[in-house]
Amino acid sequence: MAEPSPAAAALRAEALGAALPPLVVAADRVASTVLQGVHGRRRAGQGDAFWQFRPFLPGDTTSRIDWRQSAKSDRLFIRETEWEAAQTLCLWADASRSMEWVFDRGRPSKRARAELLVAALAALALRGGERVRLLGGPARSHSGRAGLTAVVEALAQVVKSAALPAPDPDLPRHARVVLFGDFLSPLAEIQAAVQALAAWPVRGHLVQVLDPDEATLGEGNRAYAGRVLFEWGGGQVLVPRVEDARPVYLQRLARQREGLAAIAGAAGWRFLTHRTDQPPEAALLALWQALGPE
Amino acid sequence: MLSLGPIAFAAPWLLLALPALPVLWWLLRVTPPAPRRVTLPSIGLLRDLPLTEQTPARTPWWLLLLRLLAAALIILGLARPVLGPGAAATGAGTLLLVIDDGWSSGGDWPQRLATANAALEAAGRVGRQLALLRTAPAETGEPLRVLGPMPAADMRARLAALRPKPWPPDRAAAASAFAAWRAAEPGPLGSLFITDGLAHGGAPDGLDAALAAAAELTVARAEASPIFLLPPPIAEADRLRLSVQALPSGSDRQVVALARTGDGRTLARATVAIPAYASGGEAMLELPPELRNQLTRLDLDGVASAGAVALLDERFRRRPIGLLPAVEEAADAPLIGDLFYLDRALGPYAELRRGSLESLLARPLAVVVLADRPVAPGAEQAALAKWVEAGGTLLRFAGPRLAESPDPLLPVTFRAERQLGGALSWEQPQHLADFSAGSPFAGLVPNPEITVQRQVLAEPSPRLSERTWARLADGTPLVTAVPLGRGRIVLFHVTANAEWSNLPLSGLFVQMLRRIVALSAGIQGAEGEAPLAPLETLDGFGRLGTPPPAAAALAAAGFETALPSPRHPPGWYGTAGQDPAAIAWRRALNLGGALPAPVAAPAPPAGARLAAISGIPAERDLGPWLLAAALLLLALDLLIGLQQRGLLGRPGRAAALLGLVLAGSSAWGQRMPAPGGDPALATRLAYVTTGDAAADDTARMGLVGLSDFVNRRTAAALAEPAAVVPGQDDLSFFPLLYWVVLPDAPAPDAVAVAALNSFMRNGGIILFDTRDEGSGDGFSPGARSALKRLTRDLAIPPLAPIAEDHVLRRAFYLLPDLPGRFAGGQVWAAREQDRANDSVSPVIIGGHDWGAAWAMDGKGNTPFAVIPGGARQRMLAYRFGVNLVMYALTGNYKGDQVHVPAILERLGN
Repeated sequence: MAEPSPAAAALRAEALGAALPPLVVAADRVASTVLQGVHGRRRAGQGDAFWQFRPFLPGDTTSRIDWRQSAKSDRLFIRETEWEAAQTLCLWADASRSMEWVFDRGRPSKRARAELLVAALAALALRGGERVRLLGGPARSHSGRAGLTAVVEALAQVVKSAALPAPDPDLPRHARVVLFGDFLSPLAEIQAAVQALAAWPVRGHLVQVLDPDEATLGEGNRAYAGRVLFEWGGGQVLVPRVEDARPVYLQRLARQREGLAAIAGAAGWRFLTHRTDQPPEAALLALWQALGPE
Repeated sequence: MLSLGPIAFAAPWLLLALPALPVLWWLLRVTPPAPRRVTLPSIGLLRDLPLTEQTPARTPWWLLLLRLLAAALIILGLARPVLGPGAAATGAGTLLLVIDDGWSSGGDWPQRLATANAALEAAGRVGRQLALLRTAPAETGEPLRVLGPMPAADMRARLAALRPKPWPPDRAAAASAFAAWRAAEPGPLGSLFITDGLAHGGAPDGLDAALAAAAELTVARAEASPIFLLPPPIAEADRLRLSVQALPSGSDRQVVALARTGDGRTLARATVAIPAYASGGEAMLELPPELRNQLTRLDLDGVASAGAVALLDERFRRRPIGLLPAVEEAADAPLIGDLFYLDRALGPYAELRRGSLESLLARPLAVVVLADRPVAPGAEQAALAKWVEAGGTLLRFAGPRLAESPDPLLPVTFRAERQLGGALSWEQPQHLADFSAGSPFAGLVPNPEITVQRQVLAEPSPRLSERTWARLADGTPLVTAVPLGRGRIVLFHVTANAEWSNLPLSGLFVQMLRRIVALSAGIQGAEGEAPLAPLETLDGFGRLGTPPPAAAALAAAGFETALPSPRHPPGWYGTAGQDPAAIAWRRALNLGGALPAPVAAPAPPAGARLAAISGIPAERDLGPWLLAAALLLLALDLLIGLQQRGLLGRPGRAAALLGLVLAGSSAWGQRMPAPGGDPALATRLAYVTTGDAAADDTARMGLVGLSDFVNRRTAAALAEPAAVVPGQDDLSFFPLLYWVVLPDAPAPDAVAVAALNSFMRNGGIILFDTRDEGSGDGFSPGARSALKRLTRDLAIPPLAPIAEDHVLRRAFYLLPDLPGRFAGGQVWAAREQDRANDSVSPVIIGGHDWGAAWAMDGKGNTPFAVIPGGARQRMLAYRFGVNLVMYALTGNYKGDQVHVPAILERLGN
């Protein structure tokens, strides 16, 4: 979690009493807005919940006949349950220091946004009956509505590491993976990580979360004008005139994204971008639709 | 020295740096500003930028201009620019400064010194030598001489040490000093004479003529110099007459004279107007005698000069004097009364008191005058003797009564009464002999016209001579005195009127009485040659200080004629200390009394240049100002730089805060007063608005009709009724609220309830009208429940029907019932036994729709018919209204009628 502000800490303390961290609340809220628009999973399948009665057809096993319903009429009925194909959704949010950078205090950091998306996605998946686990964290999967709290708590225990996740032995095959991060590291590292995951095999999504000032080099921001000394992690770059450097920067950023998309495409994955000044619901909806069954 | 118009530069070589400004400009353009530091995680994307745009960072042209301006200001400031450099003084070679530093220069001394300094600086810049000649004698009493010639740097210190002197200049001595110096220093010369513009002494002094003859001369004089001379005031009976002498001027002037005490407090001020072309003005300073006795000096406000100070010594104090004639009735008879002349002689200088001896001695007195009045032996004599022994001065005048019955309180024993001149006498009326040196009257000159026809003779005794203060020409005593305890008894051997002598008709009589009064309060000694040492003297600015070393003692008799000089500077003379004797001995020497009125000096000699003292602007060093401006610009540049690098807080925040404060302050707008003027200015009835326009209109018309009726029939004067909203309007101005209860009336809110409760608690009365009682039953269904709702939160006392003997039925008219538009219903008020608020009911509740019965439209018609009807019902309704208004205005006043039988019974018995 990003460092909570005092108000957020108070809220968190209050919410802990209800065993529901604020992230869970936020994730629940974001997730519910998305669920209302998506009904793709309403179909018969493996599961516990009643779905429909349908006439017995030749080929159906007799054990599936619902005798109570069949006794009401002359025909035999089979009770169908809703499809509950439990799939494991593996989530990972970049925990490196660069994710905590924010220029404008009024905006959430990339990390806060990524964790919100992780939690919201986990909430959606748990509501849909999927299993959720975190990459890089404790190797256990969570399921059920109560699992969300556990997921959020596990988020705090994820190792703060800039390294991209590698498949661990407990990772279920054919699981779905969603990786959140800024993906500004060299393309070769990312490619290696994605290829390792794809070879496991898992399918997944790369979601690049960027701050707007990062995405545009502060276009329209008066701090990003004229002669600026950019600093990060001990490194310094003196830009004599930011206005002149901006096209080059945008070009390089676009090239990075193209590279990321190419890496994702080669592995059969998808690549999405998100900016912290956009509403999280938009990214969540896109992700949920991408994750839904084809 | 580089001179450019009105500006000169003391260090002009620094201006050579100005051409370097373009270099600075180029440097500023080449040197980029410090970069702004920004963190960015995506820094990797910015590495190894192609160096296409490695141009120097551009500084905005206005910022460049700002910095260049600051640099230029620094260069100019360091070059020591001087605004208005003193014009080079006249002549060549040595510059001789001649400065009048007498008393008349104190008022504008700084300007004079600035003029001299300007000339000194100007001469110093061209390397001229300077010499200095002051015209007033030095404090040390040394003769005048010319200082110098010497360089400007040495002269500057001497000039700065120059102070005006509290005595007039001696220009003749200065002229001779100049002549002596000129003989020794025959080189080229120019001179500047800073004169006070006065002719000191009658004869032409010849100084400016000598200067003009020797070298080129500039005469600097002030056009409107504040030269005022304040002579000691003239004491009148109950005020001081101030006069101020000044040089005539073309415009009206005013000076303010301040009367101060010894510790500097100002007790009074008087404005002295000096008309145009007049040489002085007068004003009166009115002060009670007790306050006048505290005065020690008069100042002219804002004029720092020894001539503008008048020190007031004991001569200006007033001493209370008790006058006691033999027969009180005839004492004031014109020309022949016992006290007629005494009153006029002493009145201007002393406070005179009349009355019985007992009442006179009850208050502190300096002198008691008994005019031909014997002192009765016994208590009166003892009291008087005790008072004299305690320090009083008893002044007695002889006369037929005293000669007949002398008493012990006399300096001499009477031998006989003698008459000089007349039909049966060989002897001629006697003249006064000169006063002897030991007498308090020493120094007074007897008028030869004074003759004495009758006197009482003293029994010769060895001590008679030492007790005698004044004699007649044949040696017989005229005034004798004897000390008694700490006081003394003085006897005039003649009457206080013109019967025995014409002494009371003369001015000498006044002076003798003043001497005696001045001697009173236990003051021993006489005026004369006793030298008084200088105690505190005035300096040239009119401030008291220690006397200069050359100051010498001055004989007491010499004060009238002494001219202030280094030997006798103006100020206090006498002995130090606070005891009354020392203070009484102290004398003041004033410039104003000793010097003649100021006279303008004759025109300067031909060929002399004239300059105005105030017209020479002082040199002004511009350097510090330029450097300060440069500093300001640099600070501004720093702020701009910080702002450009984002190190300043966002200005938007401050602007928002400012806006918030402004918005908040505008919310303090005052509520507009109710139309119709201030409700506190007139008594008026009020009705509570109900929200129903028709009901409100009826209530208003009803109160208009009632007010009209009350104004016609009673002494009450009611103004136009007002509409009020409880909780919004201030109810405290209204004695009575008429409240029509509508069926749909909402309950009042908490603020309104608080206002109404406060109104009732403080004596206000509310008349609730449900309009559905008696014959009006059913006209307003639901009004009673509305009344309950309305009054739920109000502090309504326990109610009772209005009894037959309730004050409301008899406050003005005797009313059997209380009808309105309807009749026959019950009217309720607070129970009588409720003593709160003096038994005046805060509420009256009924349903007779009184407002409609009282209502009167603009034409004087009554728009509502009364039910069941009849002119009498309406008249009764109006009478109830009158009773109600009386009840509201006078309370239970009429309730006292219940005691009338008891009172009548008591009176009958």
